[in-house]
Amino acid sequence: MSVLTSSAALPGRRSLKSVAWRSWVTGALFVAPALALFAAFALAPTIAVIEYSFLKWDGVNPERQWIGLANYTKLIGDRIFWQALSNTLQWSAIIVVVNVGLGVGLAALLARVGRGRTFIQTCFMVPVVIAPITAAIIWRWLYQPDGAINLILEGLGLGTLSRPWLGDPEVVLPALAIAHCWTSLGLSIVLILAGLQAVDEDLYDAAALDGANPWQAFVSVTLPAIRPVVAVVVILTATGAFKGFDLIWAMTQGGPVRSSELLATYMYKRGALENQYGYGAAIAVALLVIVTVAMALYSYLQSREQH
Amino acid sequence: MALARSLAVPRAALMSLGVLMVAPTALTLFTALKPASEASTPWSIPSALTFDNFLRVWGEGGFSVYFWNSLVISAVDAVAMIVLASAAAYGLVFIRFPGKGIIRLAFLSGLMVPAAAIVLPLYSSMRRLDLVGTHLSVILADVALALPIFVFLFASYFVKIPGALHEAARTDGAEEWQIYWTIVLPISRPVIITTGLLEFLWSWNDLLLRLLLLPEEQTRTLAVGLLFFQGAQTRDITALSAGAVIMALPVVILFVLFQRHFVQGMTAGAVK
Repeated sequence: MSVLTSSAALPGRRSLKSVAWRSWVTGALFVAPALALFAAFALAPTIAVIEYSFLKWDGVNPERQWIGLANYTKLIGDRIFWQALSNTLQWSAIIVVVNVGLGVGLAALLARVGRGRTFIQTCFMVPVVIAPITAAIIWRWLYQPDGAINLILEGLGLGTLSRPWLGDPEVVLPALAIAHCWTSLGLSIVLILAGLQAVDEDLYDAAALDGANPWQAFVSVTLPAIRPVVAVVVILTATGAFKGFDLIWAMTQGGPVRSSELLATYMYKRGALENQYGYGAAIAVALLVIVTVAMALYSYLQSREQH
Repeated sequence: MALARSLAVPRAALMSLGVLMVAPTALTLFTALKPASEASTPWSIPSALTFDNFLRVWGEGGFSVYFWNSLVISAVDAVAMIVLASAAAYGLVFIRFPGKGIIRLAFLSGLMVPAAAIVLPLYSSMRRLDLVGTHLSVILADVALALPIFVFLFASYFVKIPGALHEAARTDGAEEWQIYWTIVLPISRPVIITTGLLEFLWSWNDLLLRLLLLPEEQTRTLAVGLLFFQGAQTRDITALSAGAVIMALPVVILFVLFQRHFVQGMTAGAVK
């Protein structure tokens, strides 16, 4: 029986078609559960947030009012929005610079250390795996007026530098960025280290033959070779910083007086706490645009690199 | 000799930096073990070490409930992610059917969407489905948002499996689901472990989604529980430290045990 119905017994278009049809169904069955979940709870909300940004809506009331671009014109005139945007960019810039600068330097040192490397790497990775909220509790305590950081400064005779780190509008943003770097530097080092280990040893030998000292070899061999992985670290830490919420929310909630307000915290306050869904969504769209532009810029630069 | 000396300096410097990186966590653990009345300075030596703070937050603080909630959500997240992402990647890599390009593109676009940008509509969908306050709502959102990363992680592993293996199984008359289950999954252990660990970690650590979707005390996870505990008990630093340690300890232990898998996964995920 089965021989008769198999494709060998019935050559021609019909059986081929049925094979194709069966393979289509099987393929769909494998992909459908994931795709459905992704479409319903990731893709649809992304489209919906754009739709919301044209509405005046409290998020609860069935009545939603279409107000066109009003949320965006309001956004452009909103001083707090611009401050949140500028804070987000400053905070991201500090985080990227520290991650790349210290990341490259420490990874280059770590690459030369054989014994003890695993121990050092583990030390740097522990802050990466603990939650932002845990990091927030630890750093709030360190930054307290009578906390460890001020005590150390006084112990070193630098008491004039001590201050209420999270209560001072001048320093709160860099202080928070340092706490964030504590949770991100380990991963940057590990990534750059992986890039360093892929560098061709022969290039160093060639540089040594040319009489290059270690610093010249680093500049002429190492840096060009790890540029792609550094680009990855830049984009990874930048997007991680742009969408930062947990750490800031748990440490300052954007304060004092908005000096650590980020786009994500401002969106949360307007949208979720004050039930201004339309306006919150407009802030979210701004966030979405920044992340997408950053990613697009990154893939453009990468594709240019390859050609 | 010269080489040994030239390495000794960077090694010593890196070791001290490493210790400095761990110091805040270690001080927190130390504080959690102090009697509540002796927390004046971070490094003051306590008269005795005690588990009192842990018992206090675990019982009165409600952390036993939070811990259980976190564990359930993160474990279900990890298993669901392994099943869904591996199946989708299998379909995309091994089975020929039309529309694959579009599906790939859809997942690719999902790589860029930050959760923070879409929490408002996500919350309204969950409210319409009457799921706010349930663990299911968090699980659905977690898995949906991180799916693209893990689909690509599995797919990049599957494309390295020789196509001949799949062809041979097909000609032997095996069904696709049999090949997936008995041939492909067993040889994919490294990605399965990496996926499970990373998804567990991200789920365990997330705050924002849980803050919105789990408003009631009995359903809170550790992240939300800690946030509210911090708000209520800011002066009680030993109890707060104990809470932070309860949240950090499981993932730090997992990390130390499976460091290689974590690092590989994070590296692969980042480079993709």
